[in-house]
This record gives sequence, C-alpha cells and structure tokens, in this order.
Amino acid sequence: MSDRFVSLQKLSLAYGQTEVVPELDLDIREGELIALLGPSGCGKTTTMRAIAGLMAPKTGKIFIDGTDVTRTPANKRGIGLVFQSYALFPHLSAFENVAFGLRLKKMDNLEVTSRVEHGLNTVGLAHLAARKPAEMSGGQQQRLSLSRSLVMEPKVLLLDEPLSNLDARLRLEMRTELQRLQRETGITMVFVTHDQAEALALADRIVLMKEGVIEQLGTADELYNKPASKFAADFFGFENIFAVSDAGIVGNKGSLAGTFEAQDGHLAWRPGAVVVGKGPYEGTVTGVAFAGEQREYVIEAALGQIKATTPATDKRYEIGDSVAFDLPLAGAWHLPEGRQGVLMAK
Amino acid sequence: MTSKWTSRLIIGLTLTFLIGPFLIIILAGMSAGDFLAFPPDGLSLKWYIKVFTVESFQKSFALSMFLAVFGTLTALVLGVPAAYAISRYDIPFGETIKTVVAAPIIVPGIIVGLALLRYLVIPLGFTVTLALFLAHTALVLPYAVRVVLSSLNNLESDMEEAAVLLGCSRVGAFTRVVLPNIQGGVLAAFILGFVTSFNQVPVSLFLSGPGVRTLPIDMLSYMEITFDPSVAALSALLAFLSVVIVFVAEKFLGFSRYV
Amino acid sequence: MFQNNREGLALALPAAVFTALLFLLPVGILLSEAFRVDGQWSLQGYVDFAVKPLNQTVFLRTLKLGFLVASVSAVIGYASAFCIVNMDAKSRGRVFGLVVLPLMISPVARTYAWIVILGRTGIVNDAIVGLGLSDTPIRILFTETAVFLGLLQLFLPLMIISLVSAMENLPKDVIPAARVLGANWFQVFTKVILPLTKDGLVMGGTLVFTGSLTAYIPPAILGGSKVLMLETLLYQRVNVANDFVSAGIIATILIVMSFGANLLLKRIAAARK
Repeated sequence: MSDRFVSLQKLSLAYGQTEVVPELDLDIREGELIALLGPSGCGKTTTMRAIAGLMAPKTGKIFIDGTDVTRTPANKRGIGLVFQSYALFPHLSAFENVAFGLRLKKMDNLEVTSRVEHGLNTVGLAHLAARKPAEMSGGQQQRLSLSRSLVMEPKVLLLDEPLSNLDARLRLEMRTELQRLQRETGITMVFVTHDQAEALALADRIVLMKEGVIEQLGTADELYNKPASKFAADFFGFENIFAVSDAGIVGNKGSLAGTFEAQDGHLAWRPGAVVVGKGPYEGTVTGVAFAGEQREYVIEAALGQIKATTPATDKRYEIGDSVAFDLPLAGAWHLPEGRQGVLMAK
Repeated sequence: MTSKWTSRLIIGLTLTFLIGPFLIIILAGMSAGDFLAFPPDGLSLKWYIKVFTVESFQKSFALSMFLAVFGTLTALVLGVPAAYAISRYDIPFGETIKTVVAAPIIVPGIIVGLALLRYLVIPLGFTVTLALFLAHTALVLPYAVRVVLSSLNNLESDMEEAAVLLGCSRVGAFTRVVLPNIQGGVLAAFILGFVTSFNQVPVSLFLSGPGVRTLPIDMLSYMEITFDPSVAALSALLAFLSVVIVFVAEKFLGFSRYV
Repeated sequence: MFQNNREGLALALPAAVFTALLFLLPVGILLSEAFRVDGQWSLQGYVDFAVKPLNQTVFLRTLKLGFLVASVSAVIGYASAFCIVNMDAKSRGRVFGLVVLPLMISPVARTYAWIVILGRTGIVNDAIVGLGLSDTPIRILFTETAVFLGLLQLFLPLMIISLVSAMENLPKDVIPAARVLGANWFQVFTKVILPLTKDGLVMGGTLVFTGSLTAYIPPAILGGSKVLMLETLLYQRVNVANDFVSAGIIATILIVMSFGANLLLKRIAAARK
C-alpha cells in the first residue's frame, strides 16, 4: 500500500486570473477514503477537478500511482468521478449508462454484459436495467452513477458532495453503502463535502481547506477533538471562541474579566461546555429552542453572544430572563498563538 | 358568470381577426368565377388545381424549397458549433461574436438584398441564386443559434465531463452525449429556419433575375398582373402546408417549447 | 465551461465570419454610400432627402403606423393575454397555439386575405352597401387603414405571446390579493398587472414596432404607391429611379430606429435586474 498513491505537489490552480488554490501539497494513501472538507469557495471542488484532469493546473504536478499524470488528458487518466448532479445520460437506459465507458474500450459484447450486470448488482439496481434515468428515484440515480464509475475499475474514485442531494434516510443508507463498496473494492476514494458531519461519519482522514490552503489534515477524531486553528475549531462545533488578554477574554462586544491561565491566543468552548444557571457571569437569554434531549440557548453577555446547551431536564429559562453562567477552564480548548492547541487541564 | 363570457368574447374576436382571413382565403380560392371575390361565385376546385400547372409557380416553388432546405442546413452546420462554443466556452470576443451572428435579425431584409445585389452579384459575378442562398443562410443563422443554444443551456455540461472521464474524446462526447440530447432542438431549429426562409420576402425582392424568383416574390408579381383567385388558392395551400408542418412538429416534438 | 478557449473560438468563428463577410460587410458599404456625394464624405444626401415633402410624409407615416400598431396591439394583447392565462390548461394550450400559428404562415398569404375583405367588392363594402350606409362602395384598400389592419394582423401575435409569458410569471395570487385589499379592476391593472408585466410589454412593443417599421408586404399589397412606407419607398427609389443614395439613407434610418428600439429594450430589461 502506497502512502503517496495520489500525490499533489506544489499544485496551483486558477480560473483565468482568479487564483483558487495558491500552492497545495497533499498525499493520499492507497485504499483510503478521504474527505476534502471546507466552506464553498475553499478550493475543494477545484482540487478534485484537477485530480480528474478536468482542469489544468497553472503550476505543480499530480502523480497517481507513481506516474506523473499532470499532462494526461481526463479520458486517459483512469479516474472515476461521481458528479453531484450524477450527470447520467438521459437518452440511455441504466444498462447503457453503465456500459458506456466499457463499450468505448472496444470490449466484446459478452464481457460488457457480464460486467454491467455485475456492476448493477453491486449497487442493487439489476432489476432496473432497462429504465431511463428519468424514471428512477434520486437514490437510484446516485447508485447508478456510482456503478457507472465503478465498472471502469478506476484507480481513484472522486465523489462530489455524494450525499447532498439525498434526504436524511437515504443519506444514511448511502453512507453505509459507500463504506461497504470501499471495503469490498479497496478503491481509493476522495470525496468533497461542505458538511462536517458527513466528513466525520464517512472519512478515514479529513482534509480541512480554507481559501485554497489546507488548514488541517487528520483523522476525524483529531479534527473534532484537537482543532489546530480558530477556523477548524469553529468548523467543528466550538461555537464560543474568544481571544485571551491579560485581564480576561475578549468577545466582539466587550470583555469578561477573570483568570483563564492562558497567556495568549484563543479559548474555545462547545455549547455543551458552557454552564448555565450558576457561575460568576451574568447574561440575558435572547433565544431558546427545544431540541429533543437538550435545550439550546443564546445568551447575550457583556462580551457578546454565548451559545449554550443544557439537558432538557434542567430548569428552563425564558427569553428575557437574566441568567448566571460559567465558562469553566476545565474542558476549554486553548489555541495559543503559533503553537499546537491544547486541552486545558481540569 | 359574466366574466367568463366576456373572456370568451375577447378571445373569439381576437382569434377571428387572426385566423378569420385564412378561412376567407380558402373559400375565395374555391371560386368558380374568374375574378377574386367573396363570397365566391359558385364553388369549384379549379384554381387549386390550376396553381400546380403554372410554370412560374413550379419553378419558384422549387427555388424556395431549395433555399429553405439547403440554406437552413448550412445555417445549422455553421450555427450548431457556434451555439456550442457560446454555451460551453468562455470565448475571446464572445459578446462581439454573438452580436455579429444575431445582427441579421435586426437589419431589415430589403437592405440585405440590395447590398448583396450591388456588391456581390454585380461586381463579383455571383449568381443571383448563390446570393439568395447566402442571404437566406445568414438570415436563418440567428434563429438556428438561438434555438440550439437554448437546448444546449438546458443540458448540463457535467454530462460531457462524465463522458470524457469514461474515456470519450471531446468530439466523441459531443456526438455520443450532446447530440442525442439536443436533437429535438436541432430539428425545431430546422423547422423554424425552413419556415422563416420559405416565407421570406424582403431579402429576395432585389435578388431576382430571369427565371430566378422565390415563390412569395412570384406571387407578388403575379397578383399585380392578374386578379384571378389563383393567388388565393396558392396562399391557402401554403397556409395549409405551414399548419401541417407546425402541427406535426408540435405533436412529435413539442415544437412550441423551442420557439 | 471548458478552458481551451481557442478551441471554442474555432467553433464559433465560421458562423461569425460568414455573417460578417457576406452579410454585414455589403450592408455596411451600402450604408456608407449614403454619406458620400461625388466621391466626398458629406451629409448633403441626407439634407436633400430630408427637404423633400414626400420623404417627410413617408417618414412620419411610418413612425405613426409603427406607434399605432404597437399601441393597439398592446390593448388587444393585454385583454387577450389576461383571458388566456386564466383559462384551464387544455384550452389555454389550444388558444395559444392558434395565436402562434399565423406566425408560421406566409405573410403574403396573410396579407392577401385583406384584399378580399377590404376590396371594392369585398365583404366590408358588401356590408356597407347592403346596410345602406353608403350608395357606392367606399375605398378602404390603399388607405392607411388597410395598411394598419394588415400590420396589426401580422404582428399582434408577437405582442400576445410576450404578454402571456409575462403574465404567466406573475407571482401567484397577486390579483386576488389586490382585490381583497380593495382595488377595483382598473386599479388592479394600473397598480399591479402593468408594473409587473412591464418587461413583457416593452419586449412585445419593440417587436411589434420594429416589425411594423420594416415590414414590406402590408404596405406593398394594401398601400401600393398611394400609401408608401419607408420600405416601399426604398424599393420604389431603387426600382424606378436607380437612386441608391436615398436607398442608403432610408436603410440607415430603418436600422437606426430598429437598433434604437432594441437598445432601449436591453436598457430597460437591464435596469430591472
């Protein structure tokens, strides 16, 4: 298993004069399921298109399985791509959609038939072989698109927002399906998403991107629990992030005096880490929402907005209520200036 | 329910104004008399039969058919790639190219005919038929580009990229994936172009020579000399032809989607 | 979007070059000739053209008919479009089809019918004499009225189509909402429908106006040499007098007016965005 199965080296990508990715280095391991995660405009889709060969890099190189493919045209790269729109051919049946690429390889008919049947079987669509894409549901179209790419036995399979067009129930089903297919085929998969929950649930490793630069790369566990930057912390649910000063912490409206033991950088709390109902600080409830097992509060305090959740069984506060709260140091995530983040000791 | 009846009345009057004249033309052409009149002097089909025997009508019909078919085909050969380029590429001078290609719609046809006569036919020795062919092609081109373009814009370009990733060349992606999915639009463009070219008058006004006249021009000169119902009969037949074409196109293609 | 723009240019260029060389270039030369007198650049041709009373009459008549046809088709268009969009889907399709159909039929055929209707022995005169409104048939053919009717019949469908599509895009239930808020039908039209369908009106108006300005067949068949419009005047100047300067001038006027109307349309459409 190669650790550098797909290797992007000093890759720079631009649309005309607009630079999207300034300089990117990334190594993808053989057989892993990796997510390119980030808000829209972060360059994740552009990077994926560059790997596929749909866009030529300005500078830099792309290696796949040890071969430099930077100048290899998209149709000769042996890479599969499942489009967000699925991009199925509306004039062809499900069978012919899957057979499309095989026929271009001048494979004989028997071989095509057996491979297509196997491909449709793998995604559970064998019974719909004669249907046109328009006569299939969204989930079926998605699986057809997946099967169309898989029968080509690509070295790398790219997936653009694979779950975004599906409803919640289908999303779970597809997630399991993707993981199963990846296990069974061992194909290296790269998927692009803006949804952190999707990346956390599906990927072996996550590449978090911001403005064309890799912000953090690691396992789901690492990114969720040890965000390396303010951006990463914010992206993974640390909704209360404040700068540390000599006297306390500073929000966008003001500051909160107190001892926080950290010297510099930022302190971050997940909403669940905020204590509501007791503590040294005072705020006003400006929003409350019931979310099943917990209650979500927005508290307006001297330093700005605090997002907090409490178990639904706790005392309920109403909008306008004055409420005490605490930002306990134990459980806060500290992001010092220019160094690794650390979990503050209890 | 008064508003319902008012509505019916308004639609009825409008349609009478738009369609009524054709019914009158059909009947006027059925006259048994020798002069155009309505109500007709008795009924007969002799004028409907006669128009097929008039030699100049035969020749001009053939010319008009030739121009409409080959002018439109040429316009499609030029227009489909142009529409494809406009929809899929960010071409340099794209706006200028679009304006140039669309210009024939805005320039009054009579001027085009005159200009081609003066600067292509007379000095360069182009035949009138060639000049007519060029003029009709240029005239149909904007419609061909517009109709094909709108079908292309309805087709996601993802599909072509998918085809390329599955091993197609760019040309292959066009013939295997794009063309099958826009063929309705191309056919609609052909029909629209055909009808536009066939009915075209002003462009052809100055572009006529001995024995070279399009059918509508021939009808105009015929009605200046003769006042018999044959032009009415011919008009009715042409109207009928258009109706059949449009009806068939609508039935099999949903033509009105494209226009 | 594909990145190889040279490839795109190669695909678009044949069409552009074809039109530029074989269409725009000859037309351009023709127009420029109107600015040349005895080999010199000059506006004398325009001055000579403008002082002739016939030319003035024809110019003003063309403008007048253009406006008139556009205005009347707007009125009929609104009434018809309102009725059409309020029909059930099935009859709406049918009626819309009947409105579009004439556009596909030869304008010669469409205009010729008016000779039968308006001629000395046509239906209208038969009715007038029959009802005793006049002892002898009155002359309708070869009057502005005849040309007006011919133009209206030719171009009305364009207005109706534009207005129908504008009205189909009206937000759902705005009319009932205005009614519930107390507007009478006149107010509903002026305060709700008109402002919301302005684009369609401008679009249809431009199509009808420029169409009428540059139409040849109705003035030729129904106006003859008595009711000349710019197009028929151009034809006559060339055919009767070999007067290419006047032809170039009329051509320029026609193009400027069509272009102006189109530009106005684009401007208004852009301002709305």
